[in-house]
Amino acid sequence: MFWTSKDIDEFLKNKQFIDTAIVPLVLLEGTEIGIKQSASGAEFLMSLTNFLEQQFKGRVVLTSPVTYTKSLNRKELIAAMHDELIASGFTYVFFITSDHEWTQLAPEKDVLWLPSIPLSDMDQKVRQQVLSDQLRQVIPMLSAKWSNQ
Amino acid sequence: MSNNRVTRRQFLNYTLTGVGGFMAAGMLMPMARFAIDPVLEKKAGGDFVMTDKKASELSETPVKVDFKFEQVDAWYKSDVTDTAWVYKDGDKIIALSPVCKHLGCTVNWNGSPEFKNQFYCPCHGGRYEKNGKNIPGTPPLGPLDEFEVKVKDGLVMIGKTRANTLV
Repeated sequence: MFWTSKDIDEFLKNKQFIDTAIVPLVLLEGTEIGIKQSASGAEFLMSLTNFLEQQFKGRVVLTSPVTYTKSLNRKELIAAMHDELIASGFTYVFFITSDHEWTQLAPEKDVLWLPSIPLSDMDQKVRQQVLSDQLRQVIPMLSAKWSNQ
Repeated sequence: MSNNRVTRRQFLNYTLTGVGGFMAAGMLMPMARFAIDPVLEKKAGGDFVMTDKKASELSETPVKVDFKFEQVDAWYKSDVTDTAWVYKDGDKIIALSPVCKHLGCTVNWNGSPEFKNQFYCPCHGGRYEKNGKNIPGTPPLGPLDEFEVKVKDGLVMIGKTRANTLV
């Protein structure tokens, strides 16, 4: 499900089945080296999370991406997002990012970190192959959480 | 002055008939178009999408076949890749939609080691038989949808989805 009114209606009706929120965390950087990397990372993450949504449409809600800069209080940000989503009825809240710092910033939250792969120059076919390989790394982390209810 | 000089009356007659004719045509044309609209409608046959799967490569085991089409969402155009599970049943080619009828996850053939030769939905454990029939006791309430299939130049073409005709 996407963060759209139609899908959220579906979520409200089927809360016992749709129990997982996925929040993409996107780093916004303005420095000369950083800006390109942050754009490429965002592109990768958006493609990947859309693919993830397609595969797990009936169980996950992909929220709108959260964009942040390094100067924000990221610990507070992630905690607030987590609490808000739990309060709205999700059992599991996963954050997905290609920014490595999150693993140290919020080790207690379910942060799925994936190294960003520059997709922009890839052929559609290769891109799909890469994304499904990446997704294969995410699935075990999701199912591990789901299975020990 | 010649005798066939156009009189004021004649001139007005001609112009009014001319202008009136255009106006009548302007009104009648759309009406006629609406009346014969069903004839002008584009045929659904153009909706088949070519895949790169050769029909001769198919077997009794369902394989994943990707196909691409353009989707327009307001101003946002995108190439969407969809997949189908395609297999041969005798001489007939069957293409099933991978979308779970429960809440829309993507199902996989042999997706769970516990349930061989079934489609398995990773979200809530929905299961389907090879022909798409949902297995009672699992969450899905209906069989998997089926795609229309055609073969052209030895390649599989996939069309619209329809309700499962095999169950």
